[in-house]
Amino acid sequence: MSETPETILKLVEVNKAFGGLLAVNKVNLSIQKGELRALIGPNGAGKTTLLNLITGTLRVSSGQVFFRDKEITHLSSHQISHRGIARTMQITSLFAGLTVFENIWTAVQSRKKFFNPFIRALKWQDVKEKTESMLELTGLKDQAQLICSELSYGEQRILEMGIALSTEPDLLLLDEPTAGLNSQESMVLVKKMRSMLSGQTIILVEHDMGVVMELADNISVLHYGAILAEGAPNEIKENEEVKKVYLGSEHA
Amino acid sequence: MLLDKGKSFGFILIFSLILLVFIALPFFIDLFYQTFLTELFVWMLFAISFDLIFGYTGLLSFGQALFFGLGSYTVTISILKMGLNTELALLLSIIIPMIFSWFVGYFSVKLSGIHFVIITIIFALIGNIIGETWTAFTGGSDGLTFSPPPFRLGLFKINLMDIKGNYYFVLALVALSYLFLRRMVQSPLGKVFISIRENEDRARLIGYNVQRYKLIAFIIAGGLSGLAGGLYGLTLKYAAASYLHWSVSGHAVVYTIVGGMGTLIGPVLGAGIVMSLEHYLINILQATDLVVGIVLVFMVLMAPKGLVGLIQSKLKRGKTSV
Repeated sequence: MSETPETILKLVEVNKAFGGLLAVNKVNLSIQKGELRALIGPNGAGKTTLLNLITGTLRVSSGQVFFRDKEITHLSSHQISHRGIARTMQITSLFAGLTVFENIWTAVQSRKKFFNPFIRALKWQDVKEKTESMLELTGLKDQAQLICSELSYGEQRILEMGIALSTEPDLLLLDEPTAGLNSQESMVLVKKMRSMLSGQTIILVEHDMGVVMELADNISVLHYGAILAEGAPNEIKENEEVKKVYLGSEHA
Repeated sequence: MLLDKGKSFGFILIFSLILLVFIALPFFIDLFYQTFLTELFVWMLFAISFDLIFGYTGLLSFGQALFFGLGSYTVTISILKMGLNTELALLLSIIIPMIFSWFVGYFSVKLSGIHFVIITIIFALIGNIIGETWTAFTGGSDGLTFSPPPFRLGLFKINLMDIKGNYYFVLALVALSYLFLRRMVQSPLGKVFISIRENEDRARLIGYNVQRYKLIAFIIAGGLSGLAGGLYGLTLKYAAASYLHWSVSGHAVVYTIVGGMGTLIGPVLGAGIVMSLEHYLINILQATDLVVGIVLVFMVLMAPKGLVGLIQSKLKRGKTSV
């Protein structure tokens, strides 16, 4: 078991400026395969911006992003998806007017190279089977024929993770999955995440420290766009600087 | 979606029945109504081509008039000035608008929302101005008239100077186009278009090259709008610069909204209803546009999903109450 951990994502001196404001400031970040890394920090620390830079939603101002040893800095979102990075959004992003089945289907078929306009989509038996197994995994099988906006909010968050997972990613970015859920719903979601996402490499942006402490292998703390501290949950809990800027109010 | 099999049987039955009715009709109606229906079929085709780009891909294009006008000019000029066969002229009326829609789409699909709408209007306006001013080539607002030579297509000898022959020829091509589009929107490619309509950002994040598929939808819709224009030219034996005007796209917008966008059958119904309404009202009052306007406002307010949406929700309610 002594094999060296494999770095899957590497950010080198990444900057993002909006006008004069440095939203992300010289960030260096390494994510190991199989790791669940939590990204925490006060509001406006640049967490979502950082995710946007990784998925190509925003362009970096300077610096480099490597994924599985290949540079992806200047690729667009859809290309990065095919390299193996998937993501959920802070505000749930689904195909709102489609059924749960169609939502998952659309994500599963995205791995195909050619979209034949002359055959019925349901002829794709492999896509159909994969869609059904994803419905099984997310536990949304019974709701498969509902329009996804009819789902509860918590179920919508799970569906979005199901969509992201359907692209068979090597790295999954979760942007505040428990945002907008009450504590009971949060607990249900976390339990579901544990079973759904086991073995996945994940970057988790999260405000709920309970969730972070429960799930994270390592934590990176972002403050004014820069990495303030990095380490195991226990180390971060005890870190004086982190206490000051972030956990301060709770521990005072 | 899982129940596609049953639906598809019902569809084949209904489609065949409607087709049979239209095949039989010319034996019971006079030449005036045969021409009226031929024109109606053309507008139905124009409306479903618009539904592909607007109803399925979510792009409100007012540029379809440009491709419609180009289609009618392609047919007219290839027959009148270049002496081509009718069937070749009609084939070109698909290909040339497709090339133009590639060009227009290349610039337009980079924009979204209202910016997309405006740039498509601008392209159509440019086309219209060129058509109006380059009179040596286009005949300007007077237009060009021609006679399509008869031709053979397999077993059939087709003479478009004959009103009934013209009727069947247009009916066949519109029916085929409908089947082609229906299959396409159910195909994997159709699912990509729909995902872009529903949530462009999400589609991009799961790996779809959104701009490329918007362009593909735009080119296919452009080709079919061109075919509609080509058939219109062949039916009227005439093309004019006014067909290029962006407001011609407005017909398709009205039919699609009244009938129900993203349904294909909706725009077909919408065209039938609105054109019949206009036809019967013209005898009573001059201002038919006013009535169409009122119908449109009423539909937008009371049934935003159009007639098809209204029927579907009634059926659903009926089912759940049983």
